[in-house]
Amino acid sequence: MRKTVFGIVSVGLLVAASAAVADTKDKKIALSNNYAGNSWRQAMLKSWDKVTKPAVASGIVAAADAYTTSENQVTEQAAQIQNLILQGYNAIVVNAASPDALNGVIKQACDAGITVVSFDGIVTEPCAWRVAVDFKKMGRVEVDYLTKKMPAGGNLLEIRGLAGVFVDDAIHSGIEDGVKANPQYKIVGSVHGNWAQEVAQKEVAGILPSLPEIKAVVTQGGDGYGAAQAFAAAGRPTPLIVMGNRQDELQWWKEQKDKNGYETMSVSIAPGVSTLAFWVAQMILDGKQVPKDLTVPFLQIDQADLEKSLATTEKGGVANVEYTADDAAKVVAGASK
Amino acid sequence: MKGLLSRLLGQPWVGSFLAAGLVWLLAVVFAGGHGGGEILSSALAFATFTVIVGLGQMMVITTGPGNVDLSIPATMTLSGVIAMKLMDTESALILVGIAAAMGASFLVGVANYGLIRLLRIPPIIATLSSSFLVLSTAISIGRGLRIKPPAPLADFATARAFGVPFAAIAVAALAAIIGLTLKHTIYGRTVAAIGQNERAAWLAGLDVRRTRFATYVLSAMLAGLCGVLQSGFSGGSALNMGDDFLLASIAVVVIGGTSVAGGRGNVPGIWGAALFMYLLVTMLNIFGASPGVRLVMTGLIIIAVIAVAGSENPRRA
Repeated sequence: MRKTVFGIVSVGLLVAASAAVADTKDKKIALSNNYAGNSWRQAMLKSWDKVTKPAVASGIVAAADAYTTSENQVTEQAAQIQNLILQGYNAIVVNAASPDALNGVIKQACDAGITVVSFDGIVTEPCAWRVAVDFKKMGRVEVDYLTKKMPAGGNLLEIRGLAGVFVDDAIHSGIEDGVKANPQYKIVGSVHGNWAQEVAQKEVAGILPSLPEIKAVVTQGGDGYGAAQAFAAAGRPTPLIVMGNRQDELQWWKEQKDKNGYETMSVSIAPGVSTLAFWVAQMILDGKQVPKDLTVPFLQIDQADLEKSLATTEKGGVANVEYTADDAAKVVAGASK
Repeated sequence: MKGLLSRLLGQPWVGSFLAAGLVWLLAVVFAGGHGGGEILSSALAFATFTVIVGLGQMMVITTGPGNVDLSIPATMTLSGVIAMKLMDTESALILVGIAAAMGASFLVGVANYGLIRLLRIPPIIATLSSSFLVLSTAISIGRGLRIKPPAPLADFATARAFGVPFAAIAVAALAAIIGLTLKHTIYGRTVAAIGQNERAAWLAGLDVRRTRFATYVLSAMLAGLCGVLQSGFSGGSALNMGDDFLLASIAVVVIGGTSVAGGRGNVPGIWGAALFMYLLVTMLNIFGASPGVRLVMTGLIIIAVIAVAGSENPRRA
């Protein structure tokens, strides 16, 4: 029985795959990426390679080339996208340096008949598709977790991201809403950790001596391990620190758990979201109806999943999932409802 | 006694220590009078890193107008990545990792000076463009993975006695050596002479080329040292670990009383300025100020220091 079901599913997949081959095998997709200087972006590029190479080899698309600008600059990325237009790509998947400053060149691409799919760093230009993460909800989820874990409330330390980036504002406003709805929590200190363990460690170490007892640390990802080190160095009891899916954070969590039953959660966006954007672009080129605004689920790791996630995460990397054409179809179907 | 005091106050580095003391006091007062010792202890721990790269930057800037090393953050990253990757958490490989990291940093310094000297590219552009190459190398070696340091290295980098980090003591000694080198060796005097007037130094028979070469190599190697130490301190290397140090390395040099126009270096001021920068951020964090305010304050302070230092000494206009 199981075998039959499996057989039907694989036949279904084959049909789906061959249908795709029929219509997009001549199409070329480019990835325009604005930054590669951290582990998340490196994992994102690796995922892109891992998924698009077989897709090109099996003839689903003709090309899926990744281009990264050397500096995180709007002007540089605008020039890069102009080049991609001239090179005749049918679709451009873009992780944008700015939500609105690239709109002009995005419009040029649309006018040239090119499908533009933005993800992670999305663009506001209406002609482009957006594969967005609900960052605000991500912040809210952290506080919601706290209400279950420590309903009595307490003092919180907030570690924010890179100032001036909309992701930082979005996660922060989610946390703020959560705290407003649950007044038993009080944010007694806030620092900018820039999503980097070194910076988070430095900033937390600086503000910690001035703070009362901290019950929990709400974070944005890539900063939890640094915060933990700062608490340890100051000789203060380790609070509940929300982690951000980095392997060193999960490893630290596991060590604490084995030692004293430490409990927390971890949440971030899987770098493999680039592959979801790839499949969305492929679907659009295939002539499918795709709504302009899609939402990707974030990747949440709970106490029970810790060991499993740790085992599948590369040492020193980020917990990740790569998406399939089926996943993309599901996300699209969900948004079309 | 009074003469000694006024002579002390006349030193260009005193201001940075006074400023550091002031912001520390404000921070402690605002925090309700407690945590002063802990704040100072973490200020020492983190200022150590800024001091290491600041020393190299100070030597480069002292060699005269236009000389600056913008490849410090990239060199730090490369060195940290190489060290962590080679050590691969094995204590036995610590020395191998450090040697390789320092070797790579040495090559960065050689390449920087090569671009400046052979291709006649201005230092600001040469070191900026070489930093792209260096960072790309770090990316291809480390692929963005964060490898933990071996336990003894991490222990050394984070160890403290009575609140004073061991690394801070070691770097204070290093600073003293560089201070003596600058004041009392032919190399140090040549650096200052070149900074005051390159042509005069050359006409006086000083080896301008070799001195500048050594200075860029020194800066790169100090950046490399900082990269290894920071990786040990923070639990691994990261591709963006140097980001904070570009502005910081220049700011501590300027605030510390080194002449931006070159020819006059100042070692103690780098310590004062590094402590001041850290304590300023701590103070603003305790006040709950936004990062915008923080950046504006940093910018204003640098401008103010340059304006004051520039008007103080009309002899060297």
